[in-house]
Amino acid sequence: MTRFILTIFAACLIATSLSFADTDAQVTARSDAIDLAGAFQNDGFKIRDGDYFGQLDKGQAKVVSVNLYSGNAYWFSASTGQKSDKLKVSIFDDTGKPVSYLPYQNGPRAAAGFSPDSSGLYYVKVALEEGQNSTFCLIYSYK
Amino acid sequence: MQSTIRCISTGTRDWTPETQLVHSEHMPPLRNWLALSVIALASALSAFADEQPAANTQAAESTPLSADEMKNAASVDSLTIPTPGEFFVAIEKEGKPNWSSQYRPPVSINSTDRAQIALNLGTLIADGYIAVEAHDGQQVKNVGKDVLALAKKLSVSQSVLARSESIAQFAENNQWDQLNEELEATQNEVKKALEENRDTDLITLVSVGGWIRGTEVVTGLLVENYDAEDAKLLRQPALVSFLKSKLAALPDKIQKDPLVQNLSREIDGIQKMVSFPVDHVPTPDEVKNLNLAAGKLTKEIGGPE
Repeated sequence: MTRFILTIFAACLIATSLSFADTDAQVTARSDAIDLAGAFQNDGFKIRDGDYFGQLDKGQAKVVSVNLYSGNAYWFSASTGQKSDKLKVSIFDDTGKPVSYLPYQNGPRAAAGFSPDSSGLYYVKVALEEGQNSTFCLIYSYK
Repeated sequence: MQSTIRCISTGTRDWTPETQLVHSEHMPPLRNWLALSVIALASALSAFADEQPAANTQAAESTPLSADEMKNAASVDSLTIPTPGEFFVAIEKEGKPNWSSQYRPPVSINSTDRAQIALNLGTLIADGYIAVEAHDGQQVKNVGKDVLALAKKLSVSQSVLARSESIAQFAENNQWDQLNEELEATQNEVKKALEENRDTDLITLVSVGGWIRGTEVVTGLLVENYDAEDAKLLRQPALVSFLKSKLAALPDKIQKDPLVQNLSREIDGIQKMVSFPVDHVPTPDEVKNLNLAAGKLTKEIGGPE
């Protein structure tokens, strides 16, 4: 019985440590997304210390909701870090209607620049146009 | 660690088209992680060394999101809830506000109620942002001490300790941008430590506390010096709705906490105040009412147990 309890305890510990650890794919994706977002730092953009990871196959997309402030400028940067991938980032308002944004797309790296006229909810869509079963990281910067 | 990328120019706002140099080492909150991922970065950087994207023009998707896409959209604390600092940057657009006018007396840190401590921690982190915006090094250090005291009570002080030392150092050297980043990193470290301690429910309360205090401060500045453009910042129906859903998902034990019960009730009223149409500009009276409501909650959170 004691051995059984210890085994369960050990399994829980392993599960706990795994749940807090980033995978290699996440580390690579985040590294590359931050490198991309870093390009806007000298322009006064601050990178928010937060991220979202998603898993995509070719033709699939993930949507993330964000709350933005009018007057601020934002860059949403995403990457899979995998050379053969092609990612796209686009932005929508709270009704799901597309909004005008500044696109940047280069293989696994993509970004969308946006300055909302009104505060509130927006949706950021990250789509994998080329590649398969890729982990992407989405971050944003603002000023 | 450098790479170059041409910044995208819009012709609107104040985006600049100059070539940008990336200095990734200037990102203190990310420094630890960067050190660990240096090997991964090396190959990535070499792959993108020749990257020279052309300037882009405005674009928009041709297809709207489907109802399912909106319904299933991911909402995560670290992206969906803006930081108090982000809120404060927005209000600074029309000129430097009198940030020190929004200071408040020191809060009680004697409570043993973990829900109250978590809420208080959120409000104090927002206080840290105010002190940074006011460029008040001493106030930053004072707030830092209180944050550490509360973090200790939630058993997350180890993660805050290192941060509080660098916060004190940055405050000493008037490094305000770095302080802003450290505050955000501190908030994330606290949340991460709470998650590791299986106290995920308290993370919601830290976020709620920060948002309430941020709202009190922004409305307080608007009450002092009303500006219609800034008043539009207060429109945040989805954000309050998200926070409410997180509060509703808290375990019974926390939901029965009198302070949390009161908070859940009063946040309904606040939700109505920030849920106005896109074309509506809150009047000075509406701003004042929101300030009173947020201020009342902040006092309750900061008051003795």
